[in-house]
Amino acid sequence: MADPVSDHPHPESDTDAGVKSERRSPPSTPRWVKVFAIIVLALVVLLVILHLTGRGFGGHAPSGGYTPPSIVIAYIVQQL
Amino acid sequence: MTMSPRLRKLVLTMHITASVGWIGADAGFLALAVAGLTSPEAQLVRATYLAMGLIAWFVIIPLSLASLLTGLVLSLGTKWGLFRHYWVLVKFLIASFATTVLLVHTQPIGLLAGAAAETTLSSADLREPRLQLVVAAGAGLLVLLVNTTLAVYKPRGLTPYGWRKQQEQRKVSQP
Repeated sequence: MADPVSDHPHPESDTDAGVKSERRSPPSTPRWVKVFAIIVLALVVLLVILHLTGRGFGGHAPSGGYTPPSIVIAYIVQQL
Repeated sequence: MTMSPRLRKLVLTMHITASVGWIGADAGFLALAVAGLTSPEAQLVRATYLAMGLIAWFVIIPLSLASLLTGLVLSLGTKWGLFRHYWVLVKFLIASFATTVLLVHTQPIGLLAGAAAETTLSSADLREPRLQLVVAAGAGLLVLLVNTTLAVYKPRGLTPYGWRKQQEQRKVSQP
């Protein structure tokens, strides 16, 4: 997540939009965060609509049930 | 708690290795998922889903968990913090979401791998989970590329918590 090795200024020097004066209130949310949040929200709404209209990919439990990977390994070992 | 430079470099190396490896493994998984969905050759389809089962369980899931864990340690063990900068927080949320989606999709992967091990899949069999895997792998790759971009560019922006912490530290350093 945090990758401190870069040419980015020291984390403590990040004062949001380069304002170095002593602010009394927190800085506003950056534009890129707002754009990101709108995109995520739009994707969530799209997914919900797809599921509600039955055009999504359905549930995650298709008929046949869950098969553990051990079956695959057993099959490959059997073939060797 | 701040890590020593030597430990930080070690964890950073592990984090980059796991994260980049996750992207590569996901790209390979996507190629197999597309081949499994579109190939008319039954033997190829069978081999594809067997390989996907193994890659998911023994490469992608361990790498995703390692990436998430090392990223958490790095953020909490350095002055970046987990909740101080928007880019770190967003990256963590994306990695957590991607890992959750991946774990949820072990079910269709297991189903297809199991079916491929026991029978020969025709192009019409289990169409829905096969399509689901293509979409999930493609979306996963996109999301991981967004995370890589965030890690490289580190867009500016302090969270309200980060701003408060910064003010506190300034007061301590300037009595």
